[in-house]
Amino acid sequence: MHQTHQQDCIELLVEKARIGQIDRRNFLKAAGLLAALPLAMRSGIGWAQDRPVVIVNWGGDAIDAYRQAWTESFTRETGIPVRIDGSGPTEGAIRAQLASGRPSWDVVDAEPFTSLTLGREGLMRPLDFNTIERSKVNEAFATEFGVAGYLYSYVIAWDKERFDAAPQTWADFWDVERFPGKRTMYKWMNGVLEAALLADGVAFEDLYPLDIARALDKLDELRPHILAYWGSGAESQQLFLDREVSIGQIWNTRAIVLDRDTDGRVGWHYDNACVTPSSWAVLGDNPAGAEPAMRFIDHALEPEGQVELLRLLGNGPSNPAAEALIPEELIELNCGSVENLARQFKLDIEWYADHYGSVLDQFLSRTGA
Amino acid sequence: MITRLPEHWQYRLLLWPLPVLLLLCYVVPFAGIITWSVTLPELGVDNYVRLANDPSIHAVLWRTLYLCAIVGICALLLAFLMAYCWLYSSSRWQRWVELCIFLPFFISVLVRTFGWLVALRNNGLVNGWLQDLGLIDSPLALTRNTLGVIIAMVHFMVPFAFFPLLSSMRQIDDRVLLAARGLGASRTRVFISVFLPQTLPGLLGAFIMVFVFCLGFFIIPAILGGGSTLMAAEYVFLQMFQTYNWGIGAALCVLMLVLVSMLVWLLMRFSRVERLVG
Repeated sequence: MHQTHQQDCIELLVEKARIGQIDRRNFLKAAGLLAALPLAMRSGIGWAQDRPVVIVNWGGDAIDAYRQAWTESFTRETGIPVRIDGSGPTEGAIRAQLASGRPSWDVVDAEPFTSLTLGREGLMRPLDFNTIERSKVNEAFATEFGVAGYLYSYVIAWDKERFDAAPQTWADFWDVERFPGKRTMYKWMNGVLEAALLADGVAFEDLYPLDIARALDKLDELRPHILAYWGSGAESQQLFLDREVSIGQIWNTRAIVLDRDTDGRVGWHYDNACVTPSSWAVLGDNPAGAEPAMRFIDHALEPEGQVELLRLLGNGPSNPAAEALIPEELIELNCGSVENLARQFKLDIEWYADHYGSVLDQFLSRTGA
Repeated sequence: MITRLPEHWQYRLLLWPLPVLLLLCYVVPFAGIITWSVTLPELGVDNYVRLANDPSIHAVLWRTLYLCAIVGICALLLAFLMAYCWLYSSSRWQRWVELCIFLPFFISVLVRTFGWLVALRNNGLVNGWLQDLGLIDSPLALTRNTLGVIIAMVHFMVPFAFFPLLSSMRQIDDRVLLAARGLGASRTRVFISVFLPQTLPGLLGAFIMVFVFCLGFFIIPAILGGGSTLMAAEYVFLQMFQTYNWGIGAALCVLMLVLVSMLVWLLMRFSRVERLVG
């Protein structure tokens, strides 16, 4: 009787240790109290470290979704605890972490141009492609300092009750006669200048380097019809829910939710949308060390978790092997499928790495009231 | 009225915690900000040269100053009316005025800002009522623009203007007003020539307080400005977190601090602070 109960206690401990609820010191102490240290030591938990790997993403629903898709299974498999911090790894925030001398972040879910810029300055760890299986993603998505965790897209969404036809192109987006009503676009510029140039007749392949003056002029034309520049996904969603705008350039993830929540009143598609990858990157001198961070990234490239994230949030898998696992009802929603990719243009990460800051200043002073 | 403490050294000790806290939590970090402004990205005054020459920064600064001035004037006007009303009305009306001032005062600025969004947006309450009454055909653009920001900021600032104004009005000796009436001045004349001039220090003080407060506003313009009403605080945030120009962000902070210091000096110089809070 005593023996079985003790075993049961150890099992509980081992389980807790695996999912990171207790650390090694407390585990050893408790196992010692149970006079079962030798037994416990054979339990096969990999004690990489005491401290959790801190994953930084953009907060909101993504915290729970990342937990379900990635971090719980990672901790189960490796025994390495993970903490998700939703405070948003902007370039400035990552630099602030590094400038403090003692960063508390390990892995960031950053914009690709952020990883590129910071990596070039030697502030990020070069990714270890011995641990991270490079072949899990397309060649273009795995670079020295960042590897795509998922894809997302800036799509045209519209309110079907406002007009019968569906706006297909950015020229339609600019056409306030055929498609009357207010517009909304992204406040921090990604994809907006591109949309303006496409509306002005530029072809996908001629977009970059962006003709900024031409794009800003084209944007001025639409200015009286832009109700708001949205700064957060929730804001863009609210604008459609409240019927304040008739067309918007919004994230595919929010468009999917809107379509569902309005019973199809809000329509959207991937035609002429702007697709872009996210970027897993690791801070230089990250507290948990290189190895666990790289292992997490490798884990997050597994197809199962990526499909789970597509189901939960609508983010497209970056691992082509995931495509075979996607359930039928989600195939259409995947912005990374071969078919959908062909309808979209790709944000030029190199261009953004070189120009984002200075052009954003110009953009904001032009959009300013 | 201020009661003076006896000037024993024990009592002076009571004054120490606040300056020490300010020194540690404000002055020392701010020295760091000043250092950034002249060292990032490289040593020199480049950031200040850019502040002086960059039209996009000027646009942000002018927008900030202009909005703060308008908000200051509107808040002053409303607060003046309410303080006047409080001073010369029955106690029942006084309760109403107090309710109007205190109730919003205790609600968080975030909640109030979203409240204004619900009230003012195109399909919001105000536009709904106006349309139902047949006063307008299509919704007025009340928010997601500068107007929305002004409305919400004025609402936020009225209590801050109310108390200094009320305090300066209460210090006016009623007998002086009576004397003016006794000497044959009309009610309007008494108000304009006797009452109003005596509230001038209060008006100036309240205006400067509101103005300084408004300079740092972040949430209201970010939410109600429709993404196109970038004010100084959000611009600093942008430079720190979005585009990584800590140097220029820091220089703007220093400029704002200089501006605020000048205004506070004006406040001390032309209006007696203790009378505003007394």
